[in-house]
Amino acid sequence: MPPRPRPVDPPTEVIPRVEDDYDDYDDDEYYDDEPAAKDALPPDSMARKTVRGVGEALITMGLVVLLFVVYEVYVTDLLSAEKQQDATAALDSEWNSDVVTPPPADPNRQSKLNLIEGKAFAKMYIPVFGNDWKFSVVEGTTDKHLEIGPGHYKDTAQPGEAGNFSIAGHRVGKGAPFNDLDLLESCNAVVVQTQTQWFVYRVLPMSSEVAGWAANPKAKQAACTGVAPLSTTLGDAYSKTVGQEIVVPTQGEVIAPIPHQVGTTVPADKQARLLTLTTCHPRFSDKQRLIVHAIETKSYPVADGFVPPEMTEG
Amino acid sequence: MYGWIWRHLPGPLFLRVIEAVVLVVGIVALLMFVVFPWAEPKLPFNNVTTE
Repeated sequence: MPPRPRPVDPPTEVIPRVEDDYDDYDDDEYYDDEPAAKDALPPDSMARKTVRGVGEALITMGLVVLLFVVYEVYVTDLLSAEKQQDATAALDSEWNSDVVTPPPADPNRQSKLNLIEGKAFAKMYIPVFGNDWKFSVVEGTTDKHLEIGPGHYKDTAQPGEAGNFSIAGHRVGKGAPFNDLDLLESCNAVVVQTQTQWFVYRVLPMSSEVAGWAANPKAKQAACTGVAPLSTTLGDAYSKTVGQEIVVPTQGEVIAPIPHQVGTTVPADKQARLLTLTTCHPRFSDKQRLIVHAIETKSYPVADGFVPPEMTEG
Repeated sequence: MYGWIWRHLPGPLFLRVIEAVVLVVGIVALLMFVVFPWAEPKLPFNNVTTE
């Protein structure tokens, strides 16, 4: 048998070598060198330059605004912390150097404090905000004063005096002493210390609590003695004085000796001893003011090693 | 603007990077310590007192 003929092998095709050497980009248009790529861009026309310039300016302005937020919320805190520290140190050295005059028989008939603008004269504590919440209160409420800490409205009552001891403080930045003022509830203590005395103020019942205060469990707590809707204890002149209110900035009557009563004059011995705190509202805005009213319920003479029991209510 | 500044910074690359950083830090400091404290009371964010 003749051998089967083998199928004829096709002639070997010569396949050209595949260019797979990717290390060598020289011929690759995509990976062209810088100068070549630049040639590909459209020419730098005036319109192009303008659009780019405007875009960059807008981005820059956005960055500046962001930076302003950082400044307002964080950097002012640092700057104010230093000023608050200085004011507190000055107050401490004053209190320690002066011969402490013993408090008079009636602690609320003390001689007037000598208040100097921009100088701290009292320390303020809000125990429910934690025992690290303490600020030295300075006299005056201009921007300069409030950078140092909470500021006492000039011509309002002094701590423990009949009338309305009123303090303004920042809500955001500058130490933000009154950041959480909206969280204060009725009967929460605000403690003010002067060189010779401690004064314990307690937040008044909120407007929603006024009607049912007698039934409110807080009314029966021993700590809350003295906290009651003022309209029931002091008459109609105080009917608008409640624990918290939100007003427009022009309503200066909230810091009147009897809040909201500007025209009527009431003899000082008939006035309640109030504390009023004011700050901006809502946060980051100055559209309105958040106001907290409190009434003095207790006072103690300052003594070595004595801390009012209210300071540990947290 | 940024390109123009970059092209006008003198010196070799590493020096230019240092110059750019110094420029940014300087402008931030100027804003933080001069411009913002000046502008802040004029803006309606942080007034806390009643009139």
